Amino acid sequence: MNWLVRILSLMALTVPALSAEQVNYLKEIKPLLSGACYQCHSETQQKGGLRLDTGANARKGGEKGAVIVPGRSDESLLIKAVMGVAKDLPRMPYKKSPLDDEKVALLKKWIDEGAKSPANEKAESVLHWAFVPSPAVVPVPSVKQTKWPRNDIDHFILARLEKQHIKPSPEADRVTLIRRVSLDLTGLPPSIAEVDEFLKDKRADAYDRLVERLLGSKHYGERWGRHWLDAARYADSNGYSIDAPRQIWKYRDWVIHAFNRDMPFDEFTIDQLAGDLRPNATLEQKVATGFHRNTQINQEGGIDKEQFRVESIVDRVNTTAGTWLGLTMGCAQCHDHKFDPIAQKEYYQLFAFLNNQEEPDLEIPSAPDLQRQETLRKEFTSAENELKAYVDSAAGDVSMWQKSLSPEQVAKLKPEIKTVLETPFDKRTLKQKLVLVDQIRKGNEDYKRKKSQFTKFEKTKLDLTTTMVLQERSEPRQSYLFIKGDFTRHGDIVTPGVPKILPPLPAETKNPNRLDLAKWLVDPKNPLPARVTMNRIWMQYFAKGIVETENDFGTQGSGPSHPELLDWLANEFLRQKWSQKAMHRLIVTSATYRQSSRARPDLNILDPYNKLLARQNRFRLDAEVVRDVELTVSGLLNDEVGGPSVFPPIPDGVMTLGQSKREWKTSEGPARYRRGMYTFFYRATPPPGLMVFDAPETTSTCTRRLRSNTPLQSLTLLNDAGFMEFAQSLALRVLKEVPENDNARIDHAFRLCLSREPKRDEQQRLRELLDSQLKSYDSQPEEAKALSPKNLPAHANVKQLAAWTTVSRVLLNLDETITRE
Amino acid sequence: MLSAPNDFQSDKLRESTRRQFFGRCVMGLGSIALASLLSEQKLFAAEPVKLVNPLDPRPGHFPAKVKNIIYLFMAGGPSQLELFDYKPKLVELNGKPIPDSYLKGKRFAFMDTFAKDPPKLLGTRRKFAQHGNSGAWVSELFPHTAGIVDDISLVHSCATDVFNHAPAKLFMNTGSSQFGRPSMGAWVTYGIGSESKDLPGFVVLQSGPRGPRGGAVNWASGFLPTTYQGVPLRGQGEPILNLSSPQGVSANRQRQTIDAIRDLNLKRLVETGDEEIRTRISAYEMAYRMQSSAPELIDLSSETQATKDLYGITEGEPSFARNCLLARRLVERGSRFVQLYHTNWDSHGGPGEDLEKSFEKVTREVDQPCAALIKDLKQRGMLDDTLVIWGGEFGRTPMGENRDSTGRNHHIDSFTMWFAGAGVKAGQVLGQTDELGFSPVEDRCHVHDIHATILHLLGLEHTRLTFRFQGRDFRLTDVHGELIHKLMA
Repeated sequence: MNWLVRILSLMALTVPALSAEQVNYLKEIKPLLSGACYQCHSETQQKGGLRLDTGANARKGGEKGAVIVPGRSDESLLIKAVMGVAKDLPRMPYKKSPLDDEKVALLKKWIDEGAKSPANEKAESVLHWAFVPSPAVVPVPSVKQTKWPRNDIDHFILARLEKQHIKPSPEADRVTLIRRVSLDLTGLPPSIAEVDEFLKDKRADAYDRLVERLLGSKHYGERWGRHWLDAARYADSNGYSIDAPRQIWKYRDWVIHAFNRDMPFDEFTIDQLAGDLRPNATLEQKVATGFHRNTQINQEGGIDKEQFRVESIVDRVNTTAGTWLGLTMGCAQCHDHKFDPIAQKEYYQLFAFLNNQEEPDLEIPSAPDLQRQETLRKEFTSAENELKAYVDSAAGDVSMWQKSLSPEQVAKLKPEIKTVLETPFDKRTLKQKLVLVDQIRKGNEDYKRKKSQFTKFEKTKLDLTTTMVLQERSEPRQSYLFIKGDFTRHGDIVTPGVPKILPPLPAETKNPNRLDLAKWLVDPKNPLPARVTMNRIWMQYFAKGIVETENDFGTQGSGPSHPELLDWLANEFLRQKWSQKAMHRLIVTSATYRQSSRARPDLNILDPYNKLLARQNRFRLDAEVVRDVELTVSGLLNDEVGGPSVFPPIPDGVMTLGQSKREWKTSEGPARYRRGMYTFFYRATPPPGLMVFDAPETTSTCTRRLRSNTPLQSLTLLNDAGFMEFAQSLALRVLKEVPENDNARIDHAFRLCLSREPKRDEQQRLRELLDSQLKSYDSQPEEAKALSPKNLPAHANVKQLAAWTTVSRVLLNLDETITRE
Repeated sequence: MLSAPNDFQSDKLRESTRRQFFGRCVMGLGSIALASLLSEQKLFAAEPVKLVNPLDPRPGHFPAKVKNIIYLFMAGGPSQLELFDYKPKLVELNGKPIPDSYLKGKRFAFMDTFAKDPPKLLGTRRKFAQHGNSGAWVSELFPHTAGIVDDISLVHSCATDVFNHAPAKLFMNTGSSQFGRPSMGAWVTYGIGSESKDLPGFVVLQSGPRGPRGGAVNWASGFLPTTYQGVPLRGQGEPILNLSSPQGVSANRQRQTIDAIRDLNLKRLVETGDEEIRTRISAYEMAYRMQSSAPELIDLSSETQATKDLYGITEGEPSFARNCLLARRLVERGSRFVQLYHTNWDSHGGPGEDLEKSFEKVTREVDQPCAALIKDLKQRGMLDDTLVIWGGEFGRTPMGENRDSTGRNHHIDSFTMWFAGAGVKAGQVLGQTDELGFSPVEDRCHVHDIHATILHLLGLEHTRLTFRFQGRDFRLTDVHGELIHKLMA
C-alpha cells in the first residue's frame, strides 16, 4: 500500500510547455483536489452537496448540478469556480489562496481529456507526501547518458532532464570549481597558491582531494555553523527596547566545533534541545542548550514578565517546528492549523515540553581563568592560614578578656559580639573569632595586615566567562491551551505530547520531557527531520531547495521538484549515521554540482527558474562572507576560530538608533580583522555592513536568507571606511608582492580577488584606469596623499599607492568578487 | 560630499569608453553573447543605463487618492487626555478611585503595583478650548495644532492590542507584535514602488533624546526583500550611512571608479547571462546619484527664511522641525513613505517623564512643526496627494500613576491620532470615548482598520497586498481590517 500512497503523493513539477501525455488522475489531480477542496467537499463535509473525493463523486456534482462537463472545461462550473468567474459563487477554494495558473491548467486538461478516473477509486484523502515515510529503498533511476553521472545524485537529476530532452551543462572550469567549492565549504576564497596547486594536480581524484582538504578545514565549521546560527537566531544582546548585551558566544563556539568534528546530526540535535537532561551531562552538553536561550528578553519597565516568558516559549516551539520539522506551527498557536493537520491542542502539547525550564547563566572558566582561580585559591589559603595562626595565638588573651567582662559590660556589648560569646569556644567560626580579636587587638598592625589580606582575597571574585543555558525545573509548570493564543485565557490543561500526524513517542515513555522530545525528533521513523535538513543543505548549494519552501513542508508548501531524490538523500543521511560531512562530500562531488552556472538560451525557455538543474546557479555571497572574502584578498584576515564577539569599525551614528545608546569600542589590532560571523550583534542596532547584505534580524528563526541587490550595498562597498581599509591594504599587498610591472600586478590583484586570470580586455580596462589615475595624481598630488592609509609605510610612493588603491576599489566592488559562480 | 560632474561631458566620455571597451571585447565572444551584447548597446544607446529597479513605481489595485505618506510617529505614547480628548467629568472626579467595572478583565503596564496602590482618576490640569469651524477641542499645549483643526481629521477612538512600548510600536508598524513581519513602509514600497529615482522610497528620520524602542525592527522589511526596508536618514553627520566617498576620493574619481566597475560588470553580464548583474549595475548608478541627491536634500539653503521660520528651525540643529521640512522635501522628490519618530512621549511621572515640564517640552517640540508641515504642504498644493498621519503606539490611562510627579500609564483601548491630506475628510472629529475617556463608545478604529484604510488611500486593497511566506499569504492586516469609511473624503 505504501508505494501507492507514495505515487499518489507525487506532485507534478510545474514546468510550462511540458508533456503531451495525458493527465494522470491519481498522480496529479487527486492530490490537487485533496489539498485544495477536501476540507469542505469530502466525507466529513459536503458544502453545496458536493463531494470531490473521488472522480465519480466529482462528476456527479452537487446542488447546483454538474460541476464537470467531461470534454468541456470551459463549460465546467468547477473551472469557473476556481477562476472566480462563476455566477453566484465566491472564488474557490473559499477564503483560501487561489489555485495558481498551472494547477488550473492541469484541471482543465483533465476535464478536456474526459475527466477520467479509475473505477475502483476509494474516497480516502491522500496523505500529504511529507508525512509519508521515505520508502526503505529508493531505486536509483537509470539514464541514457551513462558517462555523465559521477554518483547516484546525478542519476536522479539526469533522468529527469532526459525525460524533458534537456542536456546538462558542461563541468565548470577548474578555477571556478575550486573557488565555488572553497566558498561553499569554508566561506573563504582559495589563495592563488591553492588555485595553482589544483590546476597543476593532474591526478584523476584531484578534485576529491580538494574536497577532503576543505572538509577538514577549521573554517568548515564556521561556514556551516553560521547557517545553523541563523536558525538558532543567535545574537549578542537581549533585544526589545533595552537590548542589553549578553554572553552566549560559548554556544556559538560549541556549534562551530560540533560541525568541525562532524558530530552526528541526531546527537547534535539532542544536545541542543536537551543536553542538560543527558545522563551525567557534560559541560559541553549544557552549553549546547544555549540553542533555545537565543530568544529575546524584554527588560522594559512595567511589563508582565509572564507574558514575555510565554512569548519566548512560543518562539521556541515555532523555532523547533521550523528547524527540524519544516512546519509552520505558528498558525496553531491561536487556532487549529487551517491547512496542515496540526491541532491547536497539539501546539500546546509541544509547548508543554518547553515550558519547564529555568534559564540560568552557566560559568565556564577558561584555562587562564582556571589558572587565575587556582592562584587566587592558593593566595587565599595562605592568607587564611596566617590569619588562623594569629587568631589561635590570641586565643588565650581573648579568653582572659571574656572572663574579665562583668554582666553589665556584657549587656552593653553589640548583639553580634554577644552572639559569639554565647557560642561555645570550640564551635566558633573564624569570622566569629575575628569579632572577638577585634576587641582586643584593634590597633595591632600585624593583625590589621593579616586580616585585610584575608578579606581582600575573600572578596575577590573572578570575572568568569558565562553562557546562557536551559535547566529543567524539578517541579514542572502546569501548561494550558491558550484560547486564541492569549496567555491570559487558559483553556484545557495540556501535557507534553507530539502531533498525531507524526509517529508516536515510544510506548514505554512515561511523563515525557525535553529529552524525549529531542530523541523523538531524530528518531529515524520521523519522516521530516532528515528530509528537511537535507533539503536545507541542498539549498545552500543550489540557491533553492528541492522543496523550495524549505520552511513549509506542509500542504501549502511548494512540493518537491525531485521527490525521489529528496527521499534518497534522506535515506542516505541516515545510512551515513547522520554525518553531515558525508552528505556534503556526496553533493559537492556530484556532476550536478560541478556544472557550469552559465545561463543558456534554451533553458531560459524550457526551465527559466532552473528547477531541473541543467546548470548550476550563480548567486551573491552571504553577508559575512562578503566581508570575509574582502578581508582575505586584502591580506588582513585574522583567521582565528571562536571566542568572544569583536567590534570592527562601523560608521558613526549607528549605535544611536536604539533606545539605549550602547557603547561600540572599535577593536584594534588583529581583533579588527576577524570574520564577519564574530561581529558583535546588537539586535536593536545591528551591524549595518551585515544587514545591508541580508543578514537575518535574529528576532525569530531564519532558515533561508533572501538575497537583495540594492544601492545601499553599493554605497557600503564603495565608501565604508572598513572596506576602504581593505582596498588600501590590497594595494599595498600587490605592490609588495609584485615589485615590477603594472600588468603583472593587475593580473595578481585580479587573481587575488577573482581567482581567475583577467581576459586581455579586462586587463586593459584596468590598465587604462591605472594609467589615468597615475597621470591625474601628477597634477593632484594632495589627493593622493588624502587617500593614503594611516599606517603608510615609510618609503611608499604615495601617488602609486593611491592609483593602486583606486584599482583595488574597483576589484573589490565587482559583482564577481562577491558572487559564487 | 559629491557634486555631479558636468553631465554632458562625462556622458560622452563614458559612451566612448564603453564603445572602445566593447569594440575590443566583442572579439572572441560566441554569437549568442554577441546578440545579447548588441541588444545591450541598443539599450544603452538612447539614455545612459536604463536598468531594472525593484523600486520602480507601479500601479496599485485601483486608482489612488494618495501618492505619498508622511507619518509623524509620536514615540512613547502621547497623552490624548492632555491634548485632544477633553473629559470634564474626569476633572470633576479627580483623585477618586476608578470604578471597578472599568478595570475588570483589563491588563495594564506596571499592573503588579495595582493591588498595593490602586490607581486613582486623574483630571487634566490643562485648559481646553474649541477651535475652527469643526469646533474640535484642543488643549493649550497645542496652540499651532489648534490652528489647523479644519485641515485634519481627529480620531479619538483609536485602539491597539499591546501595552508595552517595543511590542506596541511593532504592532503599529507591522500589524503584529510578533517579530519578523514587514513594516507598513516596506509593504507600501513593495506594493507600488517609489517615484524617486535617486533617493530611497522609504525613509526614516528621528529626533528627540533617544531612538525609538526596538530600533530597526520598526522599519524592517521582515520576510520581504531588504530592498523595501526603511533607510534611516540621520540628523547629524552623513544623512545616509556611507554616503560620502572616502576621504581623498573626488567626485570625478568616484565616477571613474564606478565606470570601471560598470564596464567590467557589463562584460561579466555578457559572459554569464546573469540578469542579477544588470540589477547590480543599476544599483551602482542609483548609489552614485544618491551621493549628490541626498546632500542636496538636506541642504536647506534653497528654502526661504519664511519657510524655516514657519517650521521653527534653528540653523544647524537637528530637530523634529528640521525633519518635518525634510519630509516635505523628500516627498517633493518622490519618496513614497517618510516616517518621523520623535521621542520621548512616555509620561509615567517621575524625572524626565512627568506630565508637567517634560510633557510641555515635548509638546513644544512638535506642535509648531506639525502645523507648519500641513500649512506648507497645503500652500504648495502637495496636500492634494500626500497623507499625513500623527500618532503614537498607544495612549494614556484616565488614571494617574502614584509616582513622584503626575503621570499616566499606557492605555490601549482609546487614544487619539490625526490624519490630514489626500483622501481624508478635513475638519472632523471622529470617534467618541466614554465620559472618562476609557473606551470608545462609537467608531472604534483598531490599528488593523487604520492600516486597511491607509493602504486603500494608496490604491491598494489590503486583502490583496500579500506575500507568500511559510506557506501562507501574509498581509499587513493579518486576517483583520475594515475600512474606516467615515475617515475618508
